[in-house]
Amino acid sequence: MLAKNYMDSVHLYGRIWTVAALLVMLMIPISISAYLGVWPQAEVILKGLAPIALIFYPSAVVEVLTYSPMMGAGATYLGFVTGNITNLKMPCALNAMENAGVKSNTEEGEVISTISVATSSIVTTGIIALGVLLFSPVLPYITGEGSPFATAFQQVVPALFGALGATYFAKHWKISILPIVVILICLGFKGDIGIGVLIPIGLIVSLVGAHIMYKKKLV
Amino acid sequence: MGDFKTSTFMYLLGLAIVAFVIAESLFFLIRAYRRGRQLGMSKEKLRTAITSSAVFTIAPALAVLATVLTLAGALGIVLPWIRLSVIGAIQYEVPAAEAAIEATGGTGGLTQEVTSPEAFSAAAWVMTLGSILPLVLVPFLLKKIQKSVGKVVSKDTKWGDTMAAAAFIGLISAFIGRAILGSGDASVQGDGAGVMSIIALVSSTLFMLLLQWLCKKFQWRKFEPFTMPLSMFMAMGVVMLASAVLPPEIAFIEWRG
Repeated sequence: MLAKNYMDSVHLYGRIWTVAALLVMLMIPISISAYLGVWPQAEVILKGLAPIALIFYPSAVVEVLTYSPMMGAGATYLGFVTGNITNLKMPCALNAMENAGVKSNTEEGEVISTISVATSSIVTTGIIALGVLLFSPVLPYITGEGSPFATAFQQVVPALFGALGATYFAKHWKISILPIVVILICLGFKGDIGIGVLIPIGLIVSLVGAHIMYKKKLV
Repeated sequence: MGDFKTSTFMYLLGLAIVAFVIAESLFFLIRAYRRGRQLGMSKEKLRTAITSSAVFTIAPALAVLATVLTLAGALGIVLPWIRLSVIGAIQYEVPAAEAAIEATGGTGGLTQEVTSPEAFSAAAWVMTLGSILPLVLVPFLLKKIQKSVGKVVSKDTKWGDTMAAAAFIGLISAFIGRAILGSGDASVQGDGAGVMSIIALVSSTLFMLLLQWLCKKFQWRKFEPFTMPLSMFMAMGVVMLASAVLPPEIAFIEWRG
């Protein structure tokens, strides 16, 4: 009974915060336009929005469908407001659940994943705010082109997923081979397939492969 | 009125957004922590989740900060700061800003500073409207998705566990595949698969396996949560070292552009 109440309250508060975030988001361009006294024509906005919407709206739908079962409710509500899910919040939540020895589909998993995404959001927001307010004059020398750190920051995603992959692949190597091979074959044919397309491919292949192996009692 | 892109008003707007994000995060953090205690989870376990997540976040957050700086040249520092604090994502904001600037007649993309208030406010609108869809979808869909996944899991717990692992592996495979064979923008160095991405991928994998083995062998329980961020940092260190030591014609090879 308690569990049901907690999960229901997560959805209730999650929805309230998300709608509030939507309003706050819309207030950003509204207040900038009001402050500058310039309201761009709808035509100009639509022209800029069209190519972006074409790519990112379908991937937004896919993201919501794929990430939410993995991250749990609280982390999803929070993660979609604070952003950078694929490259930060999601791996962070996976790492925390793995460390705590809890599974994503349990209430303990829900708790750890929410704690992880909330902490990560606070730290990210803090680092960006501090960077902008205090260090913006020197930061170009650290992260700008030509700096020795710039090359390292460009490779933060492979470094992150290499370490995350090591944990999962070592534990579940049997079900890992198929998705990796299929992804590499796809990229072999077309190297510029976006990550928004690759993730659903990897996910479907991995789930179907794992299901067949499970039915045949190979895992 | 000076540079409108970095006016006091813009900074105040930025701070208000930061306050909102932190308030929401604290709200969820405190509730989840309390619930964890009610479920009998130890304080240590919950606190470790907090500290390890904080350490884990540092390197990727600095990469986000680098994106803010990339956009700052054209849009000033405040708007990119705001956009990457709420919903923003590295892979989204740069093309969104470019499309917005182009739509207002700018031709240089992000290489030229935006000086007209019209173009600036158009960029703010496009960047916002392009990214809000998840906020419309999540309140409607999330409960239904969770329920249907819950049904599958409760029917067969062992398959539920395998399914969760398979889903994570599918996601991770996509990123690993890109680091091995993905192509980037031919005019940009470091965004496609190449020597550097392989060095980062392989070294972080090896560091992770090594650290996990050490933790197991010497029973370093408290150190375990930090193996992943540490592997990431050390791999980035190897990338820096390799870029300094290897001749540039080898270090920056990207086989798919």
